[in-house]
Amino acid sequence: MLLLGFFLGLAVGIGFWVWQQVQLNRYLGRLLRPLTSHLYKMRLLLIPGLRQEIAMVKQQRQDLQQSLQTYQNLLDFAPVGYLQVDEENQLLWCNRQAQEILYLHWQPEQVRLLLELVRSYELDHLIEQTRDWQKPQTGEWVFHPSCEDAAEMPTIKSLALRASSLPLPNGQVGVFLENRQPLLDINQVRDRSFSDLAHELRTPLTSIRLVVETLQNRLEPPLNRWVNRLMQEVDRLINLVQSWLELTQMEANPNMQLQVKAVELRSLIASVWETLEPLAGRQHLSFSYSGPENLWIKADKARIYQVFLNLLDNSIKYSPPGTSIHVQAKILSTNNGGDAASQIIEINLIDSGVGFSEVDLPHVFERFYRGDKARSHSPQDGNSIGAIVGNGLGLAIVEQILIAHGGSIKAMNDPETGGAWMQLQFHEVMANSLSQDYS
Amino acid sequence: MKAIDYSPNPQRPQLARAIRRLERDVLRMGALVEQSFRLSHQALFARNLPAAEELPRLDKKIDRFYRQIESDCTAIMTLQAPTVQDLRCLSAFMQLVRDLERIGDYAEDLGEIAIKIFPYPPHTSLPEIEAMSLHAQAMLATSLKALGDFDEAGGRRLKHLDDTVDDAYDRVYETLAQQRDVPGVVEPIILLALVIRCLERMADHATNIGQRVAYIVTGQRS
Repeated sequence: MLLLGFFLGLAVGIGFWVWQQVQLNRYLGRLLRPLTSHLYKMRLLLIPGLRQEIAMVKQQRQDLQQSLQTYQNLLDFAPVGYLQVDEENQLLWCNRQAQEILYLHWQPEQVRLLLELVRSYELDHLIEQTRDWQKPQTGEWVFHPSCEDAAEMPTIKSLALRASSLPLPNGQVGVFLENRQPLLDINQVRDRSFSDLAHELRTPLTSIRLVVETLQNRLEPPLNRWVNRLMQEVDRLINLVQSWLELTQMEANPNMQLQVKAVELRSLIASVWETLEPLAGRQHLSFSYSGPENLWIKADKARIYQVFLNLLDNSIKYSPPGTSIHVQAKILSTNNGGDAASQIIEINLIDSGVGFSEVDLPHVFERFYRGDKARSHSPQDGNSIGAIVGNGLGLAIVEQILIAHGGSIKAMNDPETGGAWMQLQFHEVMANSLSQDYS
Repeated sequence: MKAIDYSPNPQRPQLARAIRRLERDVLRMGALVEQSFRLSHQALFARNLPAAEELPRLDKKIDRFYRQIESDCTAIMTLQAPTVQDLRCLSAFMQLVRDLERIGDYAEDLGEIAIKIFPYPPHTSLPEIEAMSLHAQAMLATSLKALGDFDEAGGRRLKHLDDTVDDAYDRVYETLAQQRDVPGVVEPIILLALVIRCLERMADHATNIGQRVAYIVTGQRS
C-alpha cells in the first residue's frame, strides 16, 4: 500500500516534470524562433541552442557597438561640425570641429543646455524650427563668439556659418555646421584684387583711347578701318572696367546715393525702347506693352533707365528675327489697404528667344557668368548701343540697382514662348490708380 | 570655473522641466540682448547705419520675450506650488529679465543716437567711449555666462568689473564737460554725454544680473 502510494506520487511528480519540460521547451522554441533562421534543427537540444543563441546575440551586440564606435569616431573627426541636442535643447554630443567653430567647451559627462554653452539665438531658433516642423532646415548667419575680456574683443573674428539640421527620433535634433568664413574671405580678396586691377587699368586705357582718337582723324580710308576696329575694342574694355568699378561700389555700399525722384516707369521704358529701336529694327523685332498707363515709383531715374537698357538689350540680342518682346506691368496690393505703401509694381519682361537653361538659372546674376557657350559673345560688329552690353556684368548691375531700390528681380523661362522671362518688383510705389487699365 | 549642476526638484519632473524651459527662454533673450548691444556698438563706432535700423525690430522681439517670461513665471508660481529654492529662482528670473530688457532699451537708444551723431566729425574722446562700450559688453557676456553656469563667484565678480566702467564714465564726463571753445553746435557733445550715460546704466544692469545669479545660488543678497 505504502509502496503503491509512493509510486503513484512519483508518477504524478514525473508527470508534472514532463509536462513542465514540454512547456519549457515549447516556450524556448517560441523564444528562439525570431532569433534563428534555421528552423527546429535541434529540437531536443534547446538548452545548448539557447546558450549558442545568447553567445551569438552577445557577439552581434559587440559588433554593433564597435561599428557605432567607428561611426562616432568618424563623425568626431569629420571636417564639418556636428552636434546633437535632445528635446529640451540640451547638448548630447558634439564633434571636435563643432567645438572649434562654436568655441564651446563640452564635457561628455555633463548634460547642459546648448544655450548655456553657446549663446547663439540663431542656432537655437533653427533647432526649434526643425523640431516643430519635423523637416530638415538650413540656415546661414554670422556667429559672434562671446568674449568676456574687453581688451580681446576687437581681435575676435566673427564667422559666417551655415547650419543644416535634421529632425531625429524622440524630439532630438542633429545639426551640421559649416564654417563659410574662409570662402567669403577668399571671395573678398578676389574681388578686391580685381578692383585694384580695374582701377590701375583705367588710366592707361583712357590714354590709349586718346591716341586712337588722334590716329582716327589722320589716317586715310584703307587704313582707318583697323583703327576704327581698335577704337571699338578699347571702348569695350573701358566699359568693362567702368562697370566693374561701379558694381563694386554698389555692392560695398548698398544704400548708395540714389537721386530719388518720382519716376514714371511706362514712359521710361518707352524711351529705352526708342534708344534701342535701330538695333531692334535690324532684326525686325516688335515691342508691346500692356498694363496701366501710369506707373509712378520713387527711384533714381538714371539707374532705372540703365536697368531697362540692360534687360531690353539682352532680350534683343537673344531674340530670333521677327519675334516680339512683351512688357507687362501690374500693380499688386499686398494687403487689403489700398494705400500706396502696400502696393507693389510688378513688371514682366518676356522675349521669344532661347531662354536660359535650367542649369544656368541660379547663376545668371553672377558676375561674368555665361551659361551656354554658344551664347557667349562673338566680337561685336559695332551694333551695341548704351554703356553695358555683352560684358557679362549687365545682369549683375541690374540686380544691384534693384537691391539698392529695395526691389527684386527673378529670372525664369516663359512657359509659352520659351524665352527669357524677367520679373521685377518695385516696392517704393507712389499713388497709382488701379482703375486705369489700357491693355 | 566650477559649474554647479542646478536641478530644481528631482521629485517633480514637470516643475523641473518648466523651470528648465524658463531658463532656456531667459538665455535666449540674453542672446538677443547681446546681439542688440553689438549692433548698437557697430552703429556708433563703425558708423554702420543699417545696424541701427535693425535695432527697433530686435527690441520688439526682446520685449515679447520679457512679457512671456514674466507671465510664465507667474503661472508657475501660482499653479505648480514651487519649493523655496524654486521660488527664489523664479523671482530672480523675473527681476533679471527686467534688467535684460532695460539693456535692450538702452541699446535701442544708442542706435538712435548713432543716427543723430552720424553727420558730425568724430570726437576725440570716441576711442575711450568705444573701450567703455566694449567693457560693458564683456560684462554682459560675463553675467550671461554666470547665469548659464549658475556660477556665484562669476556673478559677484561683476561688481568689480563695474568699477572700470564707472571710472571711464567719470573721466569721459570730465572731458566733455570741461571742453571750451566748442566749434559749431554742442549737439555732438550732448549726444556723447547721453551715450556714456547709457553705457554706464547698461553696465549697472549687467552687474544686477550677476547679483541675482548669486542670489539664486546662495539665497543671500549682498
